[in-house]
This record gives sequence, C-alpha cells and structure tokens, in this order.
Amino acid sequence: MASLSSGGTYADIKRKFKFDTDTSTQESEGRQKLRSWLNKSLRVSMTDGRTLIGVFLCTDRDKNVILGSCQEYIQDPDNTSGEDPRVLGLAMVPGHHILKIEYDDITANQIM
Amino acid sequence: MAEESTMDDRGLDATASVEHPASVGGSSPENVEAVPTPPAVQHAQPEVRYNWKDITQDFLTSCEELELGELMHDANFGLFEAMSAIEMMDPKMDAGMLGNRGDREVLNFQQAIQKGTVKLKDLTAPELIGIIDTMLSSMVTWLEGHSLAQTVFTCLYLHDPEVIEDRCMRAVALGVLKLVDLIKNNVNRASVFEEEDFQTMTYGFKLAGNVTDVRVTGMLREVEDEINRKVKSTRCKQGEERDPQTELEHEQNVALQSRMKFCRLLLTALIAFNKPQCSGVTDGKRLLIQAGELLEVMKKTVHHGAHPDETATPDFPIIMGFEPLVNQRLLPPTFPRYTKIIGREAAMEYFQGLLNRLGQVCEVVNISSIHTVLDFFIEFSKASPCVLSRSLLQVLAVSTDRKVFGTLPFREALREAVRAFNYPPALIPRSYVFNNPQAKEYVDAFLSRAVRPFSNLLQIHGHNRARQRDKLGHILEDLSSLQDEADKVDAALHSMMIKVDPQRQHLACFGTWVLYHILRIMIQYLLSGLELELYSTHEYQYVFWYLYEFLYGWLLSTLSRAEAMYQEHDAYMEQQKGGSKKKSKKKKKGRPPSKEIVLGQAEQSLCGGYYKAIQGFYLDERLKKPVFEFDNEQVRYEHRFAPFASIVTPPLVPYSQFQDMVALEKFSPPLQPADFYVQACKCFQQAKNIYESFPNQTKEVQTLCKVAKTNFVVVKLLLGGHKRESKSPPEWDFTEHNTFPIIRLT
Repeated sequence: MASLSSGGTYADIKRKFKFDTDTSTQESEGRQKLRSWLNKSLRVSMTDGRTLIGVFLCTDRDKNVILGSCQEYIQDPDNTSGEDPRVLGLAMVPGHHILKIEYDDITANQIM
Repeated sequence: MAEESTMDDRGLDATASVEHPASVGGSSPENVEAVPTPPAVQHAQPEVRYNWKDITQDFLTSCEELELGELMHDANFGLFEAMSAIEMMDPKMDAGMLGNRGDREVLNFQQAIQKGTVKLKDLTAPELIGIIDTMLSSMVTWLEGHSLAQTVFTCLYLHDPEVIEDRCMRAVALGVLKLVDLIKNNVNRASVFEEEDFQTMTYGFKLAGNVTDVRVTGMLREVEDEINRKVKSTRCKQGEERDPQTELEHEQNVALQSRMKFCRLLLTALIAFNKPQCSGVTDGKRLLIQAGELLEVMKKTVHHGAHPDETATPDFPIIMGFEPLVNQRLLPPTFPRYTKIIGREAAMEYFQGLLNRLGQVCEVVNISSIHTVLDFFIEFSKASPCVLSRSLLQVLAVSTDRKVFGTLPFREALREAVRAFNYPPALIPRSYVFNNPQAKEYVDAFLSRAVRPFSNLLQIHGHNRARQRDKLGHILEDLSSLQDEADKVDAALHSMMIKVDPQRQHLACFGTWVLYHILRIMIQYLLSGLELELYSTHEYQYVFWYLYEFLYGWLLSTLSRAEAMYQEHDAYMEQQKGGSKKKSKKKKKGRPPSKEIVLGQAEQSLCGGYYKAIQGFYLDERLKKPVFEFDNEQVRYEHRFAPFASIVTPPLVPYSQFQDMVALEKFSPPLQPADFYVQACKCFQQAKNIYESFPNQTKEVQTLCKVAKTNFVVVKLLLGGHKRESKSPPEWDFTEHNTFPIIRLT
C-alpha cells in the first residue's frame, strides 16, 4: 500500500474514519482483544435476568454490544431444561444493561 | 454433518430473518461454530457444547479504550447494519422485556391445569364475565393491528377448548375462535389491509376448524337457554322481598347471558354476511341491531366480572385463564410490537362503533350502479373506518369472482355505468354500431380491459387513508393506458358510424368516461394531501392553484360534455321516434351529472378563494417563501404532481407556468393585496351561495357552507382593514373540515 503514490493519504483517511481493518500493528491491546472476539459467540447476561447468545458483531465505548443471530433465554442458561430460545436476530444490548459477558472458547474445546 | 446439526441448533439457519453480513465475509462464523461433537451425543440429540469463559472485566476495560463514536466492528458490518438491530430493554422494541416484571412463572395451558391455576369446571359467574370481557378486549386489540399471539391467544382456554369441562366456558371459547377465524378470512379475502392495519399470522393455533359453525352457535344457544332459566328463577317476583344474594346472582346471570348472546349474534351475523350473493345481508343487519342492544347491558355490567390487579400490570390484565407471556416464544424475530390491551369499557365502545359501521356497510347492497358503489366507498372511507368494516364492504360489494354483489359480472356493470354516464351510441340498442359485430367486439374488448383498473380502484378505496393516496397515484398509470385504448375504440367506432349515418358522431365517448375518472382521482389525490397534512403551508398556493385552474376546470368541462352527449342522444331518440316529441321534452331521468357539476363548481370556487387569498398574503408579506436549504420550490412542485406525469390528458402543468402565474411584476400599475382579497372574497361568496342553495343539505354540504361563509367573512374583514398591520401568518384551521380549512387571522 505504501508503494502507491496516493496510498499513504488513502490509509490516513481510512484510519481517520476508523474504517481500517488492517491495523493490527498499531492497534492498542484492548482493541486487539475486542477484535479477536469479533464473529465469535458471546453470551451476554442482562440486568433483567435474560441471557442472550449470539455472534459478536460490534461494540463501542459505552459497551453497547450488537449480537447477530441472537437468541433469547429467559431461564438460567446453565440449567439445561430444554427451554426453547426466542430468535431475535440482530439485537443491541445497551452497555448499562450488561451484567456479564462470556465468550465461547473453542480452542479449549478442541483440546478436549 | 456435525457442522450442520450444530448450526441448526444455534438458530443460524435460514429462518433467522436478520442475516448479519459478517457471515458472508471472509472470516465466516461457520468455521467458528464447527464444534466437534462426539458421535454418540449426535445420534441421541444434537447438542451444542459451549465452553463459556467469563470475559466481562476484560471486555469492559477494553471498551474504555475506544474513542467516543468509535465502533469496533468487522469490515462487513457498518453503521447501516447496526441501525437495524433491535434495542434490548427498550419497551417499544423489546417485547421480551414485559416478562421480567416480577418473578411470575409463565405456565402454558397444560402446566396451568396441572398446577391447578386454571379451573376447567365450575367457573363462577364473575370469573366467566371477567374472562369473556377480557377476551373481547383482546380481540379488539387484535383488530387494531396487534398480533394474535399477544392478544387473543393470551387466553389459555383458547389453546385447547376440547379439555374445558365448563359448558359455558367451552362454548364461548369455541365461539371466539370461530369469530377470529371468520374475521381473519374476511380480511384476507378483501385484502385491503397493510401491516399497520392487521396481523393475519395465526402462529399455528387451531381456530376450531374441527367444529362446524352450526355446532358452535348451537352450543352457545344451549348455554344461553340454561342461563336464561337461572335469570328467570332469580327474577324479582311480585310482592316478594329478594335477599341481596339472589339479586346479585340475578344481575350476574343477566350479565353473563347478554355476553353469551352477543357472541352468538356477532358470529351468526358474520356467517350471514358470507353467504353467497349477499343473500344474508338482511339477516345480518337484524342480528347486528340486536347485538347492539345487548352491548348496552354489557357496558352496565362490566363491574360484575373478575378484575385484574391493574397496579401490577397496568398494560395487561392478568386474571385466571390469561397469561400475557405464554406465547413469547412465538413472537416474530422482527420488530416485536409492544402490546397494550385495551380496557373493557373501551372495547365495548369499539364494538358499538363496529356494529354501526357494519350497519352502514349493509346499505351498499341497495345500490345498483357501479358509480354509486364507488361514491359509497369514497364516502364510507372518509371516516377512516376499521379494517374489518372496510373488508366486509369489499367482500359484500365486489370481492367475489369479479362480480358486483356476487351476481352481476363486472364488465356488464361497467357497460351499464358508461351507458348511464354519457349514452355512447355503441351502447344504445337500435343504433348501428350497437348491432355491428365488429363494433361489438371493440366495445367488449375495451370493457374487459377496463375491469382490472376499475376493480382495483374500488379496492383502493378499501385501504386506509394514507395507503389510498399512494395507490391512487399508481393507478393513474393503469388508467393512462386505458385512456389510450378508449381513444382508439372511439376513433374506430366513429369511422364506422360516419359511413352509415354522417350526422351521428362517436367522438370521445369512452374517452370522456375514462377522463372523468382520471380527473376525479387526480383531485382526490391532491385533496388527500391536505387531509393527511402532507403539505407545508407554503405549498398550499400551487396545490390550490392546480385544483382551481386546472383539475376542477377539466372536470367541469368533462361533465358538461357528458351532459351534452346525453342531450344529443336524447334529441336523436326524439328524432327517431318522430311525432310524439311533446311529452318527453322533459324526461324523468333529468340531467344525471348535474349535482356533480354544481358541487364541483363550489369546490372550485373554494380552491380559487384560497389561491387568491394566499397570493394576497404573499404580497402583504404575511406569508413568506421559506429559504430552502436542501431543495427548492420547483423540486417540491414536481414531486407533488409527479403521479400526474403518466397521464396524457390532461397534461402535467409545468412549474414554469406556475411561476408565470404568480409573477406580478408584469402588471402596471402594480397589483395590491386588496386586489386579490377582492377576488378571493368573490370566490368564497360564490361557493357559499352554491352550497346554500343546494337542494340536498347533507352534513358535508353544511360543513363546507360554513367553511365558505367563514372564509368569506374573514377575507372581507381583511379587506376592511382588520388586522391590516399584522405581519404574522394566517392560520389554517382544519377542525371544521379536514380538507378545506378555515383561514384564521392572527
């Protein structure tokens, strides 16, 4: 990209408007962590007792979390009573309603 | 295989309506989800294994690093996608939220029976009354556009009426299911609803399909008789003191009986309306009147029913047999609407209104011509009636097999309509072109071609007001091609006729008829913009100008042409008949479109008055053209009249013409505001005079008369110098009439 004459400017603009996805070299540690969770399954517990499971798509400074293909569980998710989840699709959980965030660690699964 | 089953389990299959774009991108989550499942587990039941790891703290601190407004997302996910997410814990979007007020356990019907929280037999009268009233309330809420799952089917009894042992409860449950089924079918059949009007999803609930209508009404009647006996036995006998207990019992039984009967009458009425060829309408109407009388009793006895604790769940009544959250799982993944169940008294008021509207609907079967049906539809729609009454009107009048009232083929109805409109020779027996097979073929082809746009036109008037406007704009395209066809048929017929009888003409006969409808639609389209409050006040000028200078002008000349054709026909018939011209000089039929001409003139004058007055206001600097930042007047003008562009006659009037019209520089001496006020005054006065002398003083005519009169006085005051110096803009008061405002000076 640097070899292009205008590439530098383009990259600058991209960075400025935060559209750059290839910034692993300069990104802060927190950003890298967040990025590593993108497109992974998250389980979010909400203040009203519901639990959402979905694919982590987006977040911001206020910890608002957007989950894709999201499913809603009313009962305690660890209690596998076979509760049918409700399909929500794309859902945004406001940061101040989040109690707990869990991440589905597949690497561990594979070892098992 | 392992991957597939895992996928399904997590709901990432096609049923998830919102597909997140990340799944199409490079780092597909499918790979992520491919958790190897042990084969043994897979055979029994595909199970997903999660390995959850708490990252709350990590996540939250990482988020802190983001800047204000910065989004952490994948390349395929942007702000646009983010916008379509539903927001959790927002009461409007998050239907699941409702479930978490208090720690109530949500039980379905079976569970509730097992736990003994619902009774299957020996329900008390207050319980029954309460349940019936709540069912009626939820039915009304459904009719107002909410989903069945969140309204009617929150009643557990409706989930499986078979297991109910209480005869009364069972009969009512079946009755309500039948009602829901009938209503749904009628609304579907008429198809004059949009998503904002009505939800047809039944979520797989059974609507008592295994029981016949007759059986259900029979059951209702049996129970009704039974209660009636109780009513009689507890009735006050002469000279006998009743103890309060018996008296209460009596009142409760009366309340219960009226409700049972109401359900039965409503059900029977709807069944009657669905009889072929409108044969059940008279019966239906009678039943509706009876049902209306019962509503009075019901309203007075609402307090006898078991009442929910309204402080706990203000938006949702929870009494025995109801569980607002029982269907939470069935709700669509898309935008779940927040449902507030309407109150019991309000529901009864709604039914009262519904019965009145249905009573009005019944009148349609007394109409014979399609033009009158259209007028009836337009008139009926003005009060913004509910979806059920709109649908039934369609079902009764036109919905069956393209026939009017299920008997007259639509094409023949149209033939009759054109004949009554302007007597084209091609439709008059004994004229040459009527009997010529070639001409007949032309006419039949044209009328067949007209069936679709005209049945659509009727259907459009069944839609809600806002959708009507949109659809009227579109139907102009269809009518434009019909107009073309009409001109061709007219020309062909004319050349055939002129050969045989050089004195007779067949010019623009069908064309005039089509043009008449086009103009009516155009006027309706513009006026509905006023009713729907779409225009800004600075747009009024060209809207009224267009109506006054063009559309009404065209309409009036079209109507007079139709009248001239009629007279020509009349004269011709006289001539044919020869000698006996004395007696039929003034025929009984009179001049068919005259009423329309007069009202058209009045409305034209009204529009003229507004247009002139506005012109004066601008000159007086009471009104100022806004400074447009993102558009300009021409863009707005062209947008407002865009649907007219598809029509050849009348042609779209370009913006430049409007500009020429309002440019006053060319006048010398320069025009004064007063000049325009004088003209406006004249216009309003003319409208007032027409309305005052109009023979048929309907409510509409009286209202318009009042509007014209008030506006006349207002402009007159203005001329006399009242509030002359004020520069504040006039107010447009639509409270009297929703289309033609009263001007108020401030």
